[in-house]
Amino acid sequence: MAEAIHKKLQSELEKYQQLQKDVSKSMSSRQKLEAQLTENKIVKEELALLDYQNTVYKLIGPVLVKQDLDEAKATVSKRLEYINGEIQRYETLLKEMERKSEQHREVLSSMQQEYQRAQGQAVGKA
Amino acid sequence: MAYLHDQMAAIGKVKRSKDLPQGVERLKEEHRKVVKDCTSQIEHWSKVEKDYESLQDRLRTLPDKLSYDIMVPFGPLAFMPGKLVHTNELTVLLGDNWFAKCSAKQADTLVEHRKKHVKNALDDLQKVVKNFQNRADFTDDLKKLTGDTEDFLDIREEVINEEEFTKGKHRLAHKPNSKPKQEYLLELEEDKEKKEGDEERTTGLLSEEELWARLDELEREEELQDERYRLDSTDTNGEDTTSSSEEEKEAEGGSGVQVNGHQKENGWVPSSITSQMNGTNGSHPEDEEEEDFDEEAGSGLPTIYFSHTAEFKKVRINTGKNTTLKFSERNEQKAQAKRKKKSGKSNGHSPHEGYKITSPTDIYRVFVDLVNGEPVPRKSILKSRSRENSVCSDTSESSTADFEERRAAFGRSWSHDDATHSDTSDGITEEESPTGTSPRTNGRFEAFTGTVIEKDPLPCSIPHLTIVPPALPTIPERKLEEVGPEALQEPPKRMSKFKATRLHQT
Repeated sequence: MAEAIHKKLQSELEKYQQLQKDVSKSMSSRQKLEAQLTENKIVKEELALLDYQNTVYKLIGPVLVKQDLDEAKATVSKRLEYINGEIQRYETLLKEMERKSEQHREVLSSMQQEYQRAQGQAVGKA
Repeated sequence: MAYLHDQMAAIGKVKRSKDLPQGVERLKEEHRKVVKDCTSQIEHWSKVEKDYESLQDRLRTLPDKLSYDIMVPFGPLAFMPGKLVHTNELTVLLGDNWFAKCSAKQADTLVEHRKKHVKNALDDLQKVVKNFQNRADFTDDLKKLTGDTEDFLDIREEVINEEEFTKGKHRLAHKPNSKPKQEYLLELEEDKEKKEGDEERTTGLLSEEELWARLDELEREEELQDERYRLDSTDTNGEDTTSSSEEEKEAEGGSGVQVNGHQKENGWVPSSITSQMNGTNGSHPEDEEEEDFDEEAGSGLPTIYFSHTAEFKKVRINTGKNTTLKFSERNEQKAQAKRKKKSGKSNGHSPHEGYKITSPTDIYRVFVDLVNGEPVPRKSILKSRSRENSVCSDTSESSTADFEERRAAFGRSWSHDDATHSDTSDGITEEESPTGTSPRTNGRFEAFTGTVIEKDPLPCSIPHLTIVPPALPTIPERKLEEVGPEALQEPPKRMSKFKATRLHQT
């Protein structure tokens, strides 16, 4: 009896750990997105400070490619929007994962209690 | 100390007095970590700022000359002389792989703009650091405050949630201090209990033998319970309920029904229904509860551990004559009877070993009737025998043997004692009742059942002596003698007043 519970407990624990890993992964990617967001914001502002005389280049691989100022501005804005959207997505994902992990946590705790009780009984018997 | 605990709780850490220093340590640890992180970040950002400033300087000086002679780095280990040309043309990295060709001045503007961001970050970090610094300082102060001064004592009461399952009914929680109503409530409850008893037991009234058998059972139960309670160190109403229910369980069959209705009282529920007929019941627990003071030394914070010991259960038994007997009293009586018989009749003035009258309860305990050879505690000391037979007697604790002894000690004849005893008790009750709820004595021949919180019966009794002067002349001597040795402090004054009235009257 105790053994079965123990096994169940183990499996639950593994699932929970997996879930936790996923959560942390999505957290880190979200943080990266946040950094990119701030960066792009700064770029946008600085582009605003420039005028058409300054040539804007985009580094694509080892090549600096000339870009139009307006084009550059548009690109940057689009990128910003994209990043915002990604962040939203990750937000929802994280919440979902949090909820699931919470459920798992509860299940785990109840199983642990069961297991302890079973162990206690076993000890009592022995 | 409450503030401290609140603070701790607010920060998400619950401390016990023993753990207090550890908790404080941990808290400080956390604070320190945060503060360290913040300071490192601040360092980083301030470096960045400094870099930007030096960059700005360079930008301002760079366009001064058309070209500069410099040592150009050639790989990681070599330099070679060269020239720096187009000093005003700069390719600025805007971020995210975007570059822009700008003049030095434009670059300068860009740098300014970036510096603004850096400054914002720095400000935030500074705020955080200050916040946590304050918290750390506060905890330090707190530790000092609690550790050094002896004024703060942490009073903790260990509550052990026993896994007692409740069986039977739980008592209704009645409002305490509703004394006038208690009569009726008590009545109701008694009826209810009786009904339950009837239902469960299928027999209407218990015969004498059954009664004694039941008494014996309950004795046994109570002994078990006593053991239990001595082990328990907690005292809650809920537990009372459960314990009484447990007692039921231990008993056989339906014998537990009556037990269910009665519970031992706490100091807080004395005036509630749990005190049945007799108010002294209610105040009794106050005598028996103990507060354990344990001073914990060396933990940095002196702690008082407070616990309640339970008084042993009083069980009410329907003795068939509409009277109830407190079960434990019977126990007590038996035990004391044996003891006293062994020790022989003691001096009249010494029954105080068992009867230290420190509260009105004791007085009730002292006065017990002898009905059919069994000590029936008197409900109302005021009432005479005849009346008592017809109504529920009180349940003050007493012991026949002691009572006899006392009577003997006072040197009165038995019959005379009975008569006078009633009178005496009347007088006393009359005295006592005004202090408590007066209506009780009038209607139901009950002693008052409220909680009379009298630290010293003496001061209360004296003014009432004047209130009931007619009673005094009839009871002067008896009262003197009876009350005298019992009320340790009372005798002198009472005697004087009695004497005075007597003298005055004669």
